[in-house]
Amino acid sequence: MEYEYIVGLKKHPAWRLLNADSAPLIISFFHRVFTRENRRTVPSEEMTARLEDTLFHLRRVLGESAYPRSAKAYLDEWSSGEAGYLRKFYPARGEEEVYDLTPASEKVIAWLSTFAPTQFVGTESRLLTIFRLLREMVKEAMVDPEAEIRRLEAEKSRIETELADLKAGHFAPSDRTRIRERFLEARETAHRLLFDFRQIEENFRHLDRQTREKIAVSDASKGQLLDDIFGEQDAINGSDQGKSFRAFWQYIMSPVSQEELETLLTQVLALPEIEDLDEGDRLGRIRFQLIDAGERVNQTCAQLVEQLRKYLDDQAWLENRRIMEIIRKIEKKAVQVRETVPPESDFAHLTHVKPDIGLPMARGLFQPSARITVDDRVEMGSGHMETDILYRQQVVDEKILRQRIRSMLKGHSQTTLARICEQYPVEKGMSEILAYLHLACKDDNAMVNSDVSVPIFYRDQNGRTLKAIMPEVIFVR
Amino acid sequence: MNTLDDNRAADTSTPPLPNLGPVVIRLMKGVVYRDEQETTWQDLMLLQSQVRDYVQVIGLTLVLDETDGYAYLHQGDSDADGETLPRLMQRRPLSYPVSLLCVLLRKKLVEADVGGEEPRVVLTRDQMADMMRVFLKDQPNEARIVDRIDTYINKVAELGFLRRFKKDTGTFEVRRILKSLVDATWLIQLDEKLEAYLSHAAAD
Repeated sequence: MEYEYIVGLKKHPAWRLLNADSAPLIISFFHRVFTRENRRTVPSEEMTARLEDTLFHLRRVLGESAYPRSAKAYLDEWSSGEAGYLRKFYPARGEEEVYDLTPASEKVIAWLSTFAPTQFVGTESRLLTIFRLLREMVKEAMVDPEAEIRRLEAEKSRIETELADLKAGHFAPSDRTRIRERFLEARETAHRLLFDFRQIEENFRHLDRQTREKIAVSDASKGQLLDDIFGEQDAINGSDQGKSFRAFWQYIMSPVSQEELETLLTQVLALPEIEDLDEGDRLGRIRFQLIDAGERVNQTCAQLVEQLRKYLDDQAWLENRRIMEIIRKIEKKAVQVRETVPPESDFAHLTHVKPDIGLPMARGLFQPSARITVDDRVEMGSGHMETDILYRQQVVDEKILRQRIRSMLKGHSQTTLARICEQYPVEKGMSEILAYLHLACKDDNAMVNSDVSVPIFYRDQNGRTLKAIMPEVIFVR
Repeated sequence: MNTLDDNRAADTSTPPLPNLGPVVIRLMKGVVYRDEQETTWQDLMLLQSQVRDYVQVIGLTLVLDETDGYAYLHQGDSDADGETLPRLMQRRPLSYPVSLLCVLLRKKLVEADVGGEEPRVVLTRDQMADMMRVFLKDQPNEARIVDRIDTYINKVAELGFLRRFKKDTGTFEVRRILKSLVDATWLIQLDEKLEAYLSHAAAD
């Protein structure tokens, strides 16, 4: 931590965020929207609505003059290049922009949350973790086969004593504190892992940027450049980050480890010792969240490699350069004709992309429109009618819902109801959500897990955001 | 990586080919986009060579971009035997400002390719108006310029190069098909035309 390093850090978005006048607003809001709900991205409309609510509440408490700008203005500022607290982008599909925390804001939130007093600091379990890691390292590196044999022998005799004890009917009662300590550590590690995915994604993006910059500034010959370029293509996948991530992904996606994780989680969560510790079943959902987060990184990575490939395609690269040259020429001339813009309506031509086949005789003849006479006299009478129809205005088309599920499953091998509703905002309120549930019950490839509840946000006709607590619904391809 | 899919692919024997008719008709009706007509797109992927053979008879070629996900029919100047067929695809006239807007949008696509990061190019009406304003005559009536730029934008959207977002009518996505129609040859022609116009104006 040199003096200069710290001075340099003052430009870091995390430092600026801590220094910002409205830091309490920003950080508490981000924490509530992203961290507490474990969300990766939030659609811009939801984000604006929730910030609006927060601002309204704050103004009531602090007075009308507090935070005078609109939610949209704040969000724009926070996601602008200078601030860099939020990343705003269009997802690969859909028309709504989404927000994601930048790794810098993530760090700030993580650091600030360490200030909160914890129940107790688990020292033993962490010490054991260190021992375990060291042991694994020695084992992996296989420094000395002799020593390894000695170690295994010692282990064997320890296990034998343990076995003998158990057979003889002695077992030590479980230690409540030790179990609680381990549980807290497991949960913390799991969450840290989940949040690190943001950094991982950022790292991949950084690698991509570096490669592009290298190509852009290179003045090597074409052959040399192409060599460099294709060498770089593996840069993303071959980096330490890429390798480590791939190993993680293979491990979590293997059915064996998934099953093991699930069994372990079920057993642990059923322990009486930790009943009061797992608020909101946060560890229980970690399996799906990890897969989810991993899939996002995978997608980003695939997207980056694909874009890079496109960019590297030498034809595209040369064509892009040539096109930019011509465009610059055109622009120069366009400025010259600015005052006397060519008036013709057929200055240029473009070939149409479909044949124009016109069949004049196929058109209908003119038909005078029938005049409608309105008789607006109202007479009193009596009659019987179905009033049900007035209440059945909301028709949910299951076909559309099924299509949505299908299209979500195109990109992923499984998806959840919450994610479907994120991608395709609920339009018909509760009845639409229930229709999904109905579909899931009928579908063999879907499961409804009533042990886990998930909040689903939707808007009613007045534009208010409502939250429905639903069982977790998973659709599988 | 995805073992589930691999297994499934191994299980299925080759499925019967879909019908050629609907695919060709869709192409005759305009550009087929992967993200909009997914079933047609899948059928097209299976029937590619059949479609090519079919449309070749009437002098059309199939232009297909798998990375960007679009396909359309194109009429070259003459067929393989050098015999000129009557024109089936009409050439659409573009006014000067509309062609200029196409050029500027093409530039945005190149910039997005080079800059990386975002795979999609999304522009608002105001951003496009700012892009255009530099090249249009100043007018005291600001609102009129914006109105006129609006008509240019509509025209380009009608050509299929801009897709209007449904939820927000002021936001557009630049479709990648622009890349294959507004190509280097077209741009050179436009540049020459402008050159001719400039020297003509100078001679007056």
